[in-house]
Amino acid sequence: MTVYNLYIFNKRGALLYYGEWNRWKHSGISQEEEAKLMYGSLFSLKSFVSKISPWDLKEGFQCYKTNKYKLTMFETPTGLKFIMNTDVNAPNVRELLQIIYAQVFVEYVVKNPLCSTQEPIISELFKSKLDEVVKTSPASVSKG
Amino acid sequence: MFQAGGNSDEGLFDYLHMELVSTLLQPERNPGIHLSISTMEHLGFSSGYRLVERLTREWPRFKDELDSMKFICKEFWTAVFRKQVDNLRTNRQGVYVLQDNRFRHLAKVSTSGQYMEAAPKLVVFTCGLVRGALANLGIVSVVTAEVSAMPICKFQVQIQRASA
Repeated sequence: MTVYNLYIFNKRGALLYYGEWNRWKHSGISQEEEAKLMYGSLFSLKSFVSKISPWDLKEGFQCYKTNKYKLTMFETPTGLKFIMNTDVNAPNVRELLQIIYAQVFVEYVVKNPLCSTQEPIISELFKSKLDEVVKTSPASVSKG
Repeated sequence: MFQAGGNSDEGLFDYLHMELVSTLLQPERNPGIHLSISTMEHLGFSSGYRLVERLTREWPRFKDELDSMKFICKEFWTAVFRKQVDNLRTNRQGVYVLQDNRFRHLAKVSTSGQYMEAAPKLVVFTCGLVRGALANLGIVSVVTAEVSAMPICKFQVQIQRASA
């Protein structure tokens, strides 16, 4: 089980944070370009999913899978987006994203007067707490 | 799943304090509001002055200075920060050092050298708070804070003797 990388976007689509753990292939474009592409694709996917759905959706788009990886998105009511790429069988990624939001983002960004949700996060404490949560989560701990 | 740091009125105090700090740090974001470090200290002073009035209503008079300082470290700190001061030291000549090893206003900011330049602005309100509390207990003092490694904060209280 592995976690590949994590993107955090604010409601305006600005990349607040990018974290990477096990990523072997890079996109070949700049990180800024990649973030725009990611945000744009998800934006389209979201509207696609809600338009095509035969039912009224409560949550809308949540994840997609390919043969090699799974992308999970968690969006808060305030419009923050947490996007994580993991391997296909990683369990509870959605729960992990909620934990990252409630126990890392809220605690160390929202409660830090020196961080703003309009600018990229540079807090080292945030980064180290995030690493800790991701590394101890069931999504990245192998089952042996 | 969604665990808040504590109960809601604590959160409110944190956010209000954060807004004060960010008004200090980024005056350009709040045009028309002129807040300086000394104004912030004064806000703390009057809050502490009022707060201690309410906190001591069930208490007998304090025997001496040390007794009052112990009150600040235990009851006062618990009322404001939900914990006690970790260490109290004195040279018995009117200088007391209160050490908080996980000071609330620094704990979410950094555990390294990062953001050190903002530390004075994060602790100045509390300096005023302590000074105000002591003032209402009849002790005139100067309170300064020293942050050498976040989130540890040392508050130094220097008692001003009337004769001196």
